[in-house]
Amino acid sequence: MSASGSASTSSAADARAPRTGCRIPIVWPDRRDPRLRLSAVIIALQILGQVGLGFKVSIAQILVSIGVAAAIDGAITWRRERVLAWPASALLTGNSVAFILRASGTRHGDWWSLHGVQYFILAVILSLASKHLIRIRGRHVFNPSNVGLLWTLLVIGPARVFPQYLWWGPLETPLILALIVILAGAGWVLGSVRRVTTALCFLAAFWALVGAFAAAGQSFIAIWHSGPVSGLAYWKDICLSPEIFVFVFFMMSDPRTAPSKRGEQLAYGAGTAALAAILLLPQPTEFGVKVAILASLTVTTALRRLAGAFSWHAELGAPGRGADRSPWSRGTDGSALLHRALLALREPAILAALLITIAAPTDTIALRGDRQIIYIERGLTGTRNPQ
Amino acid sequence: MLGAMRGTGARGGAARRLLSTLGVLTVAAIAVFGGDPVGVRDKLLGSVLPSPRPVAVSAFQPVNSGARAERTVLRSQPWWQQVARFSSGERASTLAFGIAADTIQWRARWSCAGGRLVGRLAGRKAPLIAASCPDSGVALATSSGRMRLLLSAGGAWRLAVDQQVDVPLVEPPPAALSAPGTRIVAAGALQRIDQFAAGRVSVYRLASGRYVMRFADFYVTPNVDLEIRLSPLRSPRSTRQYLGAPSAYVAPLDITAGSLNFQLPPNVDPTAYHSVVIWCPLITSAYAEAPLSPLR
Repeated sequence: MSASGSASTSSAADARAPRTGCRIPIVWPDRRDPRLRLSAVIIALQILGQVGLGFKVSIAQILVSIGVAAAIDGAITWRRERVLAWPASALLTGNSVAFILRASGTRHGDWWSLHGVQYFILAVILSLASKHLIRIRGRHVFNPSNVGLLWTLLVIGPARVFPQYLWWGPLETPLILALIVILAGAGWVLGSVRRVTTALCFLAAFWALVGAFAAAGQSFIAIWHSGPVSGLAYWKDICLSPEIFVFVFFMMSDPRTAPSKRGEQLAYGAGTAALAAILLLPQPTEFGVKVAILASLTVTTALRRLAGAFSWHAELGAPGRGADRSPWSRGTDGSALLHRALLALREPAILAALLITIAAPTDTIALRGDRQIIYIERGLTGTRNPQ
Repeated sequence: MLGAMRGTGARGGAARRLLSTLGVLTVAAIAVFGGDPVGVRDKLLGSVLPSPRPVAVSAFQPVNSGARAERTVLRSQPWWQQVARFSSGERASTLAFGIAADTIQWRARWSCAGGRLVGRLAGRKAPLIAASCPDSGVALATSSGRMRLLLSAGGAWRLAVDQQVDVPLVEPPPAALSAPGTRIVAAGALQRIDQFAAGRVSVYRLASGRYVMRFADFYVTPNVDLEIRLSPLRSPRSTRQYLGAPSAYVAPLDITAGSLNFQLPPNVDPTAYHSVVIWCPLITSAYAEAPLSPLR
């Protein structure tokens, strides 16, 4: 979720102490690291999910996600920097994947079930692949768990995986505790990463737009609800879902992918909200609504980086790629700028990020016609609850 | 790394370019696959939806006999559909009947009065039925298509063939529901309690004074031994709430999808109740309910 980053970058310098003999430098976590705070919040929610909220995720699935993420990130850090770094970011990625992803057929309370664990591993691999392989000017483009979850849900499909329900249960003690943890955690984490504006801007715009859709008669179907969710329930079940709060406070506010300047935060928050609303508008199912919200963040984080990369290439050309040799690339008129910007696509990371940016909303919109999701969400697939 | 393909040597650079190209192609493949174009994802990974099949239009008419039956991916709890009934006092008979291709299994329920009863499917060595009469029993088989059962008997016998199917049953409303003097006395929409349900329930009062309940376009999460019951509660929202008031048995619910008609027991007056409940005694669970609104 938020505060992702290279596991060792923040404190690798501390580890560069003089090596003596064969001692392996170890980088321990910094107590002030916001990723530790966020991990504490997510773990508290996972515990509540296990004991009171009926989360359909096993402890084994959570541990495998975290373990695989830590192993991959730790290995990459070791290869690059020859240090054993506490993989704070990867632990968070693994935990976030397990927090949102569900393997269809996992029963609540089956704590040591490894059912569908391959989907968790896939999501973690996609998350870390996006983080370590798709980098523009040395920085990753996407929020790792966001992009990993989105593509796992889209590629594996609703027959096998689904995101945690928007509805966590009736407003009773477990849910009240979860909301307290989320809101207190938001204050604890957002303050330290200074992304409060982003979160508030998103919520204000998103609530207004979804409210307009609810007033216009928009609805969705969900397996936990008889008949379509419409009217006030449409607004309430989407906008006041703990799932949305977790998304906004702990995923969108990732300081590695969210802007830091106040004006940019405003645009980023409102833009993500507008895109989320546009993508969820045609969705007839809860699955589609949640994928739409995840996809919106994938697109806005990528657009931010891509805009910077294209403008950088337009201004400076693509060094070392023959831009200067092309007759169209000389000059400062529009076509020359465009030509130089397009040369950026010769960088594989930029091309990959652009492909994902185009495919995320396209594939999300395609979900609206997916008959399988509609049957699953309507509970018409025969088994008591396929999810 | 896609973001930094700057090799130090020619060989390293080529390898990095190759890996980068593969990486971009992988991203492109994932991007296309995630959109599930022409259902490719479901074809490769499988779907939870079964293939569409024609619905049954009668409990007494084999599934495939209705050429114009609508097709559906919905499935019911498996139920027994009548295929053929035979009875004879003759000593030997060849019984011909057809079993639908999508049948789960079929059964021959038999009884005989005297002598020995032996039934053998054409082309099979082992007898399907072999009994010393008087006796009765059930023989099960899973083959499908045209069947010829060669039967030899020492006395009178009866045999009923049924096939087990899981397609919805879409019964038309019986003629009595549109006869003069028939009126709808109550109706409501099914909604979930413990399990999913959808569809509309209507209660008719016939001119004779008897009541008929019709479930239209209905579906409930399948299970065995479901029952339809009438509850005095307006809209029970939990099994516990439902169990808090005595209910009246209406009929077994063997089929869990389609449109069905049920005649109410003569001693049950539905106007004294306020909701229809689908009840599963096996697991003590109220599956669904339909609040009944009186209609005049």
